Amino acid sequence: MKKAIKNTTLADRALFLILLIISAAGFFYSGEALSLGSEVVVEVKGRPVYTLSLDVDMELEVEGSHGHGVVEIKKHKVRMKDAQCDNHICVRQGWISRGAIVCLPNDIVVIVEPGRKTDIDAITG
Amino acid sequence: MQLQDKYRIAVLSAYALALHGFEALLPSPIPWFRLGLANIITITSLTLFGFRTAMMITLVRVVLGSIFIGTFLGPSFMLSLGGGIAGTCAMGAVHSVSKTLFGPIGLSLIGALFHNTAQLFLAYLLFIRRIEAVLVISPVIMLIGIISGFANGVVADVLIKNILKNDPDSIQNVARA
Repeated sequence: MKKAIKNTTLADRALFLILLIISAAGFFYSGEALSLGSEVVVEVKGRPVYTLSLDVDMELEVEGSHGHGVVEIKKHKVRMKDAQCDNHICVRQGWISRGAIVCLPNDIVVIVEPGRKTDIDAITG
Repeated sequence: MQLQDKYRIAVLSAYALALHGFEALLPSPIPWFRLGLANIITITSLTLFGFRTAMMITLVRVVLGSIFIGTFLGPSFMLSLGGGIAGTCAMGAVHSVSKTLFGPIGLSLIGALFHNTAQLFLAYLLFIRRIEAVLVISPVIMLIGIISGFANGVVADVLIKNILKNDPDSIQNVARA
């Protein structure tokens, strides 16, 4: 084993390194490609009210059961900017790029979902 | 093709087939993960006996292997055939350009890379049809290919050294293609 590694030519080592770098770079790039397809679903009282793209920066006022909440999308992240409720747990949760924000008093749920484009429906081999 | 070439191809194909079949029995943690053990035989025969022998062994291995496992002419046979031919062609091309530039480990890495690329391309053409899915999955497949390709290259290197040292008579009468 050690002898075999010692016997590698310069080109062998260069190839090994280059391939490792490319695949490592590919991991970062593919992560970006995944998040590009994501969308934000805003649900009020269990019903999806808005479906927004995570790519477009915007602010949105949502009417909940207790008052209104303000959803803000910026730089592929989403947060509850403001909400009319007592505890403000949803506001304190801050920016998310995956998962969900739940505002229980207002019955508003903000879910980040992967876009339909990146769903893999078949793996073979 | 000489008679000795036929014997050689038969024996090496049997080795490759055994590895191929053994590998199919192993449980794989990830669905598309395969070690590519049979590539050890392809590299060894490419280095010692030339491209034509290596290609014959690959073809025999893929066709007979799929018949034994039961996937003949199925989707995974197509992927296996395409990957095998592409990998062997790539390794043969590099080896014919320069015999000293890449050692067995480098050849194995090239073979694994082209094998995986061809499989991804075929999978895209035949089944997935979604470029995003292929792009997302390719770095994972590439990394696995590098690791297993490296391991196979080390084994092939040891194998080639041992054959050259202990049994140099076995590689006489080689019709270099």
